[in-house]
Amino acid sequence: MNALAAPLLLAGGAAGAWLLRRAWSLRIGAAPYRWGGWAVLLATLIAASSTVGTMRGAFVALTLIAVAALAVVAAGLQIRAVRASRNGRDCLAPEPLDRPSTTWRGVLRWLLAGPIGMIAAMAVGICYAVWMPGEAQTRLVTGGLIVPVAWGGAMAWTLADNRILRATAVLVGTAVLGFAAAALKGFA
Amino acid sequence: MKAEDMTPVAKGGKLPGAGWTIPPNFVRAVLKGHSSLGLAFAAAIYIVCLTGTIAVFARELQRWENPAAPRLARVSPEAVQRAYSTAALRAGPGLEHVYITLPAPDLPRLMVTTDARGGERDWIADGEGQLIESRSIWTEFLTRLHINLHLPRTWGVFLVGMTGVALLSSLISGLLAHPRIFRDAFHLRIGGSRRLQEADLHNRIGVWALPFHLTVSLTGAFLGLTTLIVGVLGLAVFQGDVGKVYALFQPPRPAQDERRAPPIDLRPMFAEVAARNPQGRIDYVFLEHPTEMGGAALFNVTDGSTRLSQTDAYAFDRSARLYHAKRARENNLGERVLASLGTLHFGWFGGGAIKIGYGLLGLGLSYLAAGGVSIWLARRRDKGRPTSGWERIWTAVVWGQPLALAASAAATLVVPAPVIALVVWGVISLAALSCAAWLPSSQIGRMSRTGTAALLILTAILHITLRGGRDPAAWTVDGVLFALGVLMLSSLRRRRKSNPAPIQVVPD
Repeated sequence: MNALAAPLLLAGGAAGAWLLRRAWSLRIGAAPYRWGGWAVLLATLIAASSTVGTMRGAFVALTLIAVAALAVVAAGLQIRAVRASRNGRDCLAPEPLDRPSTTWRGVLRWLLAGPIGMIAAMAVGICYAVWMPGEAQTRLVTGGLIVPVAWGGAMAWTLADNRILRATAVLVGTAVLGFAAAALKGFA
Repeated sequence: MKAEDMTPVAKGGKLPGAGWTIPPNFVRAVLKGHSSLGLAFAAAIYIVCLTGTIAVFARELQRWENPAAPRLARVSPEAVQRAYSTAALRAGPGLEHVYITLPAPDLPRLMVTTDARGGERDWIADGEGQLIESRSIWTEFLTRLHINLHLPRTWGVFLVGMTGVALLSSLISGLLAHPRIFRDAFHLRIGGSRRLQEADLHNRIGVWALPFHLTVSLTGAFLGLTTLIVGVLGLAVFQGDVGKVYALFQPPRPAQDERRAPPIDLRPMFAEVAARNPQGRIDYVFLEHPTEMGGAALFNVTDGSTRLSQTDAYAFDRSARLYHAKRARENNLGERVLASLGTLHFGWFGGGAIKIGYGLLGLGLSYLAAGGVSIWLARRRDKGRPTSGWERIWTAVVWGQPLALAASAAATLVVPAPVIALVVWGVISLAALSCAAWLPSSQIGRMSRTGTAALLILTAILHITLRGGRDPAAWTVDGVLFALGVLMLSSLRRRRKSNPAPIQVVPD
């Protein structure tokens, strides 16, 4: 990456974020700024991809745009006077659900989020690797990348879902079906 | 407070461009999961992210620890041969592997690591191939802390991989629990209610740096779970033969022949690689059983393209016969993705600007982990159910880690031994935690920050005094350490001036 690319990409990110911030602060006439902001960010991404390298440039732009956008957010910082807690009035913000829980539900929930979720995610990843068309390496790497994403999704879902038996059924079913389907086909 | 001042809304939220709202109970349920997961993994995520942020600069830190080592732009095959042959002799019996790192723009060093029965030894060589002992003790300590938390390798790497999954999961649930993601996109209110301030910082950093967070958590989780994933893949689709999975991605291994032999001659291999790839830069050579008849050498060559995966691989047997050649441009999609994961995770794809970007965004990610717990603590306090014990413990974790890391860096400058770094870090971490038993959190925070600032300044001064700074990278690291220390001290003084009244501590 040449020395000029980074400052230009940072400037593109900052300009795009600034336009979006302008749109965000306007009640009327925000649309041109909003579209302009997204257009500048997209142009920055495309410029990086075409000059630094397609994927390399995209990741370079995403990193530098994030830094620039956070700088724009920080530039709009509002300093407020310290005040005591507002107790009851703060309840307008959403509170995490206060659901009744028993020991077995708690244990089951963490088992689902942990090992059972992991096994189900493995099953999905392996099933993908076995059944999808394409080069063996591509299927294996994609299947491997599916595992943390599916496990993370399962974790988020089981820790949130109040119907824990439904989550149990889905994850256990996914694991059984996934491994069975993989065993049925084998790897070719 | 007006309704629009609220960071999230109680009644769910309208998706941008959509005509429907997210049901409030869904948001609250997801928030519950997000909160539980964050609390369960907060300390691990925080330590992994903080150490990872510093480890982005591992190469600069290696140079900082060896400022007097010769800097080389390029090196001759003869010098490499002399350096590695001498290192192989000094390594003693049972030499399994030798790893040779050749000079690169951000690490202008010729480095040799031997892996023998007695353990690993690191060397740096000059342009003639003469060896001096390498002392990258703190960098090694830091990277091991990030990769496996200094636990037994298999378990440690798995735990860190699982931390990556938890972070990924927190990002997913955090997004789902934030229906006003665009409406609040630029709110950053500092100094009002503690909870609102922490929520603003948490959400803004979380949203605007989301591509970075997703990239490092997904790649980190994959790298940490690779052994497990490969094991299960081998078990399920190759009837338990894990080697078949690796064989799809790695060069074939040479036939075993344990008869003793002189060190492999790399010079004809250098010539062959240069002839095949004149534009490339050899940046790494891996030798397997270099003093056995069945020895082999693998050359990694950066092909000079703009791709993320740009490493060609050439493998030779002892007689310099090329038995494997794989050019990066001929890789299929899966091989390209796999080769890009490490580069993306460690921020090695765009030079200094990306490293600095990764450093800043990594600090933000560390703050996400720390701030999530702070929001939970502030929420408890606001609801009249403060948990001052957890507040003290969390402050000790968050501010104790920079203190422990700075102390271990300073200690290894004085006593350069790997065990010193680990012991000092462990003792300071435990001492900070034990302070939580009797000191208020504000005092723990203030003491730790003052100590960290003083240690950063002391480390820079110690380094200049004891090691000198002939390498510009060493001067830069010293300057950054000094500046960070001064900034921390001045922010503490400013905070004290602006808030002279003691902070009210609500008892349990």
